[in-house]
Amino acid sequence: MSKNNTMSIQEKTEKLAALTAWFDSDDFVLEQALDKFKEAEMLAAEIEKDLNELKNEITVVKQSFADGE
Amino acid sequence: MENELKVQLSVSDFIALTNQTLEYAYPSVEIEGEVASFKVNQGKYVFFDLKDAGGSVGCFMTVWQLRVPIEDGMKVIVSATPKLTQWGKFSLTVRAIRPSGAGALKKSFELLKAKLDNEGLFAPERKRPLPTLPHHIGVITSTQAAGYADFVKILDDRWGGMQVDVAHVQVQGADAPDQMIRALTYFNEREELPEVIVIIRGGGSADDLAAFNDELLVRAIAASRVPTLVGVGHEIDTSLADLAADVRAATPSNAAQLLVPDRQEIIRNARQRVASLLPKVGQAIEQQRTHITNQLKYALETITREVDRRYERLQAMRRVLAELDPNKVLARGYALIRGVQKVGRVIDIETKQAILTAEVTNYVEK
Repeated sequence: MSKNNTMSIQEKTEKLAALTAWFDSDDFVLEQALDKFKEAEMLAAEIEKDLNELKNEITVVKQSFADGE
Repeated sequence: MENELKVQLSVSDFIALTNQTLEYAYPSVEIEGEVASFKVNQGKYVFFDLKDAGGSVGCFMTVWQLRVPIEDGMKVIVSATPKLTQWGKFSLTVRAIRPSGAGALKKSFELLKAKLDNEGLFAPERKRPLPTLPHHIGVITSTQAAGYADFVKILDDRWGGMQVDVAHVQVQGADAPDQMIRALTYFNEREELPEVIVIIRGGGSADDLAAFNDELLVRAIAASRVPTLVGVGHEIDTSLADLAADVRAATPSNAAQLLVPDRQEIIRNARQRVASLLPKVGQAIEQQRTHITNQLKYALETITREVDRRYERLQAMRRVLAELDPNKVLARGYALIRGVQKVGRVIDIETKQAILTAEVTNYVEK
């Protein structure tokens, strides 16, 4: 189980953005790049999976609006 | 004929019977005509005549039933009950009135638009942003309308995980504005409020879309606690409900597009983000390689330069040594003498060409 499983899609997207920003930052270290890349790749796959699994729950309200009740 | 039953009634009974007969004959009648002598008494009672080329009839209604601006010369359709008043005057008691024909609809639209605009209902500073990623939305529409099917399809394609509560209402006709107002009230009074209320309806004629220019509905949209998104008709249609909403969508499909992001676009972006990392790593490796290569090159250049410098120094020393070579002196014509330089002694004289043995016969100090 990945620790990312408890994160929302938005959190994962933000984390992916932070990871990719790291590659352009002064903190970039070649020795860590491969691990960070693998993490980003995994996050992107999870985001795709999560998004494709999302379904809307559509409910038609039972109350009638035809009269003033 | 003389035995014919004659009905004798009091005036009041006659009026009551006539009204009963009228009500039986015309429980509800719609009459189209042109408005004349329009006036509002005491801010409550509305009087006007409805006429055409062949006749005219007086009309009465309350100001609260007047949902759209009316003025003289406007062509309208009234829903009314004919009535004989206690003073013997025939009139129509109007329950609803709506403009008829493109000209009247446009005129009514412009009058109400100016009025509500003047009150600031359409002011940009009143507009609230829609939630970025709503989890709970309220939809007011007719579930049988094509616009609703388009909305749901686009919504499901683009995003998921939302609770979508749909209030099924009429979206055209005389009852539509009140039904939509009730649905707005319903969502605004929920304990768990939706984050946005979407009002949608597909395209139609100006008359079909007239419900969205109803004054009370427009006011209810403007007064909604929950931000509103209205997508009515086609792109070219603009209703007053659109203007009062926080956000206007051109169509129901466009409303779904404005409401939620496209999941496929987010997936594409995520893939692109990751794909863009590999060239960056490659670039970093290349930079590192170039850096190391440059360092090695510099080291090699330093060594080569030092070797060259020492070689040059050696060569210079060689040149100096070469100048000191005795053979070079002999070559210039000098001779080298070996032995004791005293009279009577034998010495060896070396020239470039030969070595001579000679006896010293004279010796003079310089």
